[in-house]
Amino acid sequence: ARLGIICRPPQNYPLYIRSVPTENELKFHYTVHTSLDVVDEKISAMGKAMVDQRELYLGLLYPTEDYKVYGYVTNSKVKFVMVVDSSNTALRDNEIRSMFRKLHNSYTDIMCNPFYNPGDRIHSRAFDNMVNSMMMQVC
Amino acid sequence: MSRTPGRKQDSHKISRELFVLTYGALVAQLCKDYEKDEDVNSCLDKMGYGIGIRLIDDFLAHSDVKRCRSYSETADMIAQVAFKMYLGVTPTVSCSSAAGNEFSLILDKNPLVDFVEELPAERASLCYCNLLCGVIRGALEMVHLAAEVTFLQDRLKGDAVTEIGITFLRKAEDKKAKKK
Repeated sequence: ARLGIICRPPQNYPLYIRSVPTENELKFHYTVHTSLDVVDEKISAMGKAMVDQRELYLGLLYPTEDYKVYGYVTNSKVKFVMVVDSSNTALRDNEIRSMFRKLHNSYTDIMCNPFYNPGDRIHSRAFDNMVNSMMMQVC
Repeated sequence: MSRTPGRKQDSHKISRELFVLTYGALVAQLCKDYEKDEDVNSCLDKMGYGIGIRLIDDFLAHSDVKRCRSYSETADMIAQVAFKMYLGVTPTVSCSSAAGNEFSLILDKNPLVDFVEELPAERASLCYCNLLCGVIRGALEMVHLAAEVTFLQDRLKGDAVTEIGITFLRKAEDKKAKKK
């Protein structure tokens, strides 16, 4: 099962959440929200040097007994969080990186839509399709 | 959009994204200013008209076109030369009336809507690219061809293609040496 979430500062509320399968969704939301704190920790730990493209991917935030949580933050402080089952050991690091990159690219396309107001929840079919196809690959 | 060399030494291009985003910002702002779609559409048309009456001279100066002898040559010129020069796309032209004064340009790629996925639900009758209609109408008017230009089909509204219809309203005058 997987969940992706995008949060924007300063309020850090989610712009997009998707999980497959959909039971236990609340637990996912909880995991994701707590991992936002870890993301903030990592950002502040890096200090002012956080402008390199490689630095955008934060890697494994923390493993719990059930899940692995990965983070990615853009230069505009938009945070992407992905939660995968620990049992899913087939996922390699560079696959996660490429998934985050796809998410980031789709997010920038959404931002370029003149009718999208930054801070709105994301209701884009193209974005949904991209996320669905990514989740199909993983699950 | 680039200027053809020969006029000035510089032939710098402006980023396409900047242009598309600027147009999007223009439409979004108009949507905030006006509640009704018809008002936004007519505003875009008026702006386009203002651009068209000025753009025609730029077009004639930069393109080496002969005088057009018929409406269908004019429509071809718009599609194959003008659209190519300013937007980088070439719509296909078809004549849709026996009288020979109604044409339609079918665009299968429209750079202005690169980032727009679909119209917002409350703006269902917005003609997003109505500026283009105004530009064509203004340009034609400056060469003494009155025309009505509207969108017949629009991909953003769910149609299969984007189609602009041009209806020439009067016979072209033959006396003056005009080109289009």
